[in-house]
Amino acid sequence: MSDSISSCARAATAEEARYRIDRPIEGRSARIIALDDEAAEVVRRVAEMPWGRSRFFPNADEFQPGAELDDADVAILIATSDADGDAGGAIARACAERGIMVAGLILGERLEVADAVAALRPYARNLMVTEDEDDVAAVLTALRA
Amino acid sequence: MLKAEVNELLTRTGPGTAMGELFRRYWLPAALAEELPEPGGPPVRVKILGERLIAFRSAEGELGLIDEFCAHRGASLWFGKVEGCGLRCAYHGWKYATDGRCLEVPSEPENSNFASKVKLTGYPLVELGDVLWTYLGEPDSRPPLPEFEWIHVPADQAFTSKRWQESNWLQALEGGIDSSHVSWLHSGGLKNDPLFKGAKGNEYNLNDLRPFFEVADADGGLFVGARRNAEDGKYYWRITPYVLPSFTMVPPRGDHPVHGHFWVPIDDENCWVYTFDYHPTRALTPEELQAMKDGYGVHSRNIPGTYRPAENKDVDYLIDRAAQKRGETFSGVRGIAQQDASLQESMGPIVDRTKERLVSSDTGIIKARQKLRKAVEALRDEGVAPPGVDPAHHRVRSAAIVLPQAESFIDSARDAVAVRPGERHVSV
Repeated sequence: MSDSISSCARAATAEEARYRIDRPIEGRSARIIALDDEAAEVVRRVAEMPWGRSRFFPNADEFQPGAELDDADVAILIATSDADGDAGGAIARACAERGIMVAGLILGERLEVADAVAALRPYARNLMVTEDEDDVAAVLTALRA
Repeated sequence: MLKAEVNELLTRTGPGTAMGELFRRYWLPAALAEELPEPGGPPVRVKILGERLIAFRSAEGELGLIDEFCAHRGASLWFGKVEGCGLRCAYHGWKYATDGRCLEVPSEPENSNFASKVKLTGYPLVELGDVLWTYLGEPDSRPPLPEFEWIHVPADQAFTSKRWQESNWLQALEGGIDSSHVSWLHSGGLKNDPLFKGAKGNEYNLNDLRPFFEVADADGGLFVGARRNAEDGKYYWRITPYVLPSFTMVPPRGDHPVHGHFWVPIDDENCWVYTFDYHPTRALTPEELQAMKDGYGVHSRNIPGTYRPAENKDVDYLIDRAAQKRGETFSGVRGIAQQDASLQESMGPIVDRTKERLVSSDTGIIKARQKLRKAVEALRDEGVAPPGVDPAHHRVRSAAIVLPQAESFIDSARDAVAVRPGERHVSV
């Protein structure tokens, strides 16, 4: 190995990438909670896919923050145009008390879901507005849910 | 995290790959106009999407982009000489037109028609703004010319530079979508850079290091809004448009020019970053132009006579640990462009996204990947033209705006993120 090659040039090669430590990455424990009936259908469909330690709640009323958030890493609120903003707010406040990140995925045409976006905006640190239901699974996969 | 097969799908752009076919549906920057400054001047090498080409401007001023290698013995036409309407190979004198047709084979009889049977691959090359644009796809699918605002304002209102980045195109592009790194990696620039400093928005940036993010679909791609606290009852929004396949704009600051990037694969382990600044309503000042040429703002300080940044991996990016310790730069690397490139190149030529640990603030990146994946698969499986091909999708702006807390960034800023010729950009 020549000393004339800089540290960065040497380290950035594909060959050197093979020596990166390959340690298993633990998945995140997510809580995926629907805030309205249409979102509940989406959550039921997504829940049928293989996931790790995450848990799915098609009905926000059945979500008990005290028990369900104990070992959670992130809460993902799924909503459509009929989102129950109060329920979302209550869950988000419970998450905030525990230092748990809240994200919102709002499905539908932008103008039709404007109220749902406004209801979640104060609480969800990350909001995605999308017409593509597949984005729910894409986000969960990316987060190793 | 991405599955390995999806990472492969999105990062490989050579001929015959699915992502390569997607890129071949768009007009792409192939070179700066300054690289072919005059008719009859020397040709330049161009490598794009894994294809080696030669660009030249004929003596009549017509632009050509053709296979780099002579059809005869495979010698590089870079050594050739522009003569009249074509480029003549330095080896045996074969001459090619700007579209790749062979015009002369001097060793053949004068009345031979052999030359008419020889053709090199040729692509269109068009000058728009400071950039020479090409289209590498099937002629039947060629879209209208691009309508990005920066290439259509008067020449004295825009500046474009170019730099070589030694990494796959996607990890470079993702830096342009990822707003959450700005308050950290680029924090020094907000205070000191002549193309950023003095804006009211900088105070909001530096006073709130934990922005909220919103991602919204757009016809041509996405809008990513980063929200920070402003005065009572208001939020400061920085809005970044992304247009497929690889165009991003940076939210502006004050009355400084607005800027952005077009990321173009050279091959799978290298890309060109075309970086522009423009002002929609006024000429750039001499001071602004000089600052851009000196590598301030989002431009790079290149080694003279090249498009390789002075701060490159072979010199450890000229890292200045003392400046890092003093807090002048967060990483010790000078300049926003190479602050980004140094970290993106450190990931390796093609980052292994199966080993990532994304968090929910990465939703912009997650959504952009998803848009790309869907577009690639729709084109490959059903022949659907991808978002961003339609020039109407190009007419977007970035914006920096203060809005009441109850308002949606994308609806309240609808006018701000659209091109309005002759009207100033919305900036704080």
